[in-house]
Amino acid sequence: MDSSPVMFDCNGVSNSDVQKIIIDTDPGIDDSMAIMMAFQTPKLEILGLTTIFGNVSTKDATRNALLLCEIAGCPSVPVAEGSAEPLKGGAPEIQDFIHGSDGLGNLNLPSPKSKKVEKSAAEFLVDKVSQYPGEVSILALGPLTNLALAIKRDSSFVTKVKRVVILGGAFFALGNINPAAEANIYGDPEAADIVFTSGANIDVVGINITTQLKMSDEDLDELKQSKGRHAQFLWNSSKFYRDWHVKSDSVYGIFLHDPVCFVALIRPDLFTFKKGVVRVETQGLCVGHTLMDQGLKSWNSENPWTGYKPVSVAWTVNVDKVLNYIRSVLMMP
Amino acid sequence: MAEPKKIIIDTDPGIDDAMAIFLALRSPEIKVIGLTTIFGNVYTTLATRNALHLLEVAGRTDIPVAEGSHVSYLKATKLRVADFVHGVDGLGNQNFPQPKSKPIEKLAAEYLVEQASLYPGEITVVALGPLTNIALAIKLDPTFIKNVGQIVLLGGAFAVNGNVNPASEANIFGDPEAADIVFTSGADILAVGLNVTHQVILTDHDRQILAESDGIFAKYLSKILEFYYSYHRDAYNMKGAYLHDPTTILAAVNPSLMTYTEGVVRVQTSGITRGLTLFFNKQKRFNEETEWCNKPTVKVAVTVDATEVVKLVMERLMY
Repeated sequence: MDSSPVMFDCNGVSNSDVQKIIIDTDPGIDDSMAIMMAFQTPKLEILGLTTIFGNVSTKDATRNALLLCEIAGCPSVPVAEGSAEPLKGGAPEIQDFIHGSDGLGNLNLPSPKSKKVEKSAAEFLVDKVSQYPGEVSILALGPLTNLALAIKRDSSFVTKVKRVVILGGAFFALGNINPAAEANIYGDPEAADIVFTSGANIDVVGINITTQLKMSDEDLDELKQSKGRHAQFLWNSSKFYRDWHVKSDSVYGIFLHDPVCFVALIRPDLFTFKKGVVRVETQGLCVGHTLMDQGLKSWNSENPWTGYKPVSVAWTVNVDKVLNYIRSVLMMP
Repeated sequence: MAEPKKIIIDTDPGIDDAMAIFLALRSPEIKVIGLTTIFGNVYTTLATRNALHLLEVAGRTDIPVAEGSHVSYLKATKLRVADFVHGVDGLGNQNFPQPKSKPIEKLAAEYLVEQASLYPGEITVVALGPLTNIALAIKLDPTFIKNVGQIVLLGGAFAVNGNVNPASEANIFGDPEAADIVFTSGADILAVGLNVTHQVILTDHDRQILAESDGIFAKYLSKILEFYYSYHRDAYNMKGAYLHDPTTILAAVNPSLMTYTEGVVRVQTSGITRGLTLFFNKQKRFNEETEWCNKPTVKVAVTVDATEVVKLVMERLMY
């Protein structure tokens, strides 16, 4: 880390080595951690948050995104509301048993004062990416509906976006919704397949990587004792999430899915990636399964993976360095 | 030594099937009591012809061959055969003569059911092709799953890419509906997938040794292996060949050559990942009931002593 970090400036900094990002999110307790980390990170310009269902409904995601911007002291950061349902329609499944009915660990926070922008998430994504072609990276922390809609809206989106870093999928590993599927991809498999095969510059971080990183009960205690700017809020919010981990995985602590994905955006050097075409199953008992062609065989005929541009799949992670990075940012005063 | 294990090999010969059948005939730990045939590497008619031919080469026409299904479990007639792997005749395009012997009257599924009830708990079925016959045997006689001792099957790709396409292994892809029935049937099942068989490689050097031997099987195999090797060169850019079927035979001969894990296997039957085998170790608790709940478990091979497997294959096929 930089020894004298330059704090995030809500109004944006007109410096050429500043990275522009949009966070597409369904906050969500671990989303909150990732978002607060982003606000604490120098040389990062958050152009806005776009919201999606997943951990909560899209409406609640918008409320939470607005709240998080206020808590971060940046109420002027625009929040654009995303799709209320997956591409195929129908009410989405909400993970309220993981994140609490408010998505933030049932803290009974007040309503935000600020309002969402008029534009939909897909419009906002397309507009910002067109405004700064080749400069905007998107951190996608929920189901990929908004990104698929942006691609459908403007086919030049995929060439104009700098990088899309996706939290999603389980590569050659068990899912977390069922043995076949990871929650974000399962939330909108059709959208995920559109995004993965779109040809955009994509890095994807699956739960095969993120479940290697836990904050133990001791780490959470340390966070509570720390002078981290948002440590108390995040610690309070994490309690509900932590209790679910004990029930679900016998893990005494929490998985850091979204924070790890954020680190992959700003410190890709702490990961290794493997290139391959990724497709998503949209039918049957393995709906939501992400399947990557590792390229180990020359296929003698065409198959559903043939002809698409490969994406970068996170393959290994430097667990200690990523964990230390997350802890140091969260404990930053 | 204990009495040899009774084995029925369900097979779609196939170059590595030929190796596997010869290897089984040379393994004193087991006694091959019959072959049943299935489509896969070739169509079922040709599989039957090749099975009879291989038994003639081995001088073992005493072993009955029962012909299996010509169509998939759901009666699909458009089947995928791997002639680009094994040659149009399934045995490396060597123009072998027609066999003189004939298959028995009984169909494969009937024969499997009959033998399993004749020797309850004693028969090991080694399934080297799509699982149509086994699923049909289960349908024909629900007690088959109890009567059969064990089903050792070559199939699936557990947490690795397939070999038909990135999702699917050839035997499972050949009849995914049958495979899902077999995996969830409750029979004692041991699955050997690509994740294991891709570790067991017969090198060019090994093939050279077989070619220089005077052994009848060694000479025969070194010839038919040429086609199989050239496929491996093109598809995998490797000098050598995977020993899928022989490894599976040895799993039946000596289970301690591998380590196993236990869990539920389901097979995807639709979509782009049709034929995907998805294993669940039952360790994680999901919020909602899943399609893997309340299903019987099977054993899935995870590691293999590849050096020892190749050594056994070479020793037993040399003379």
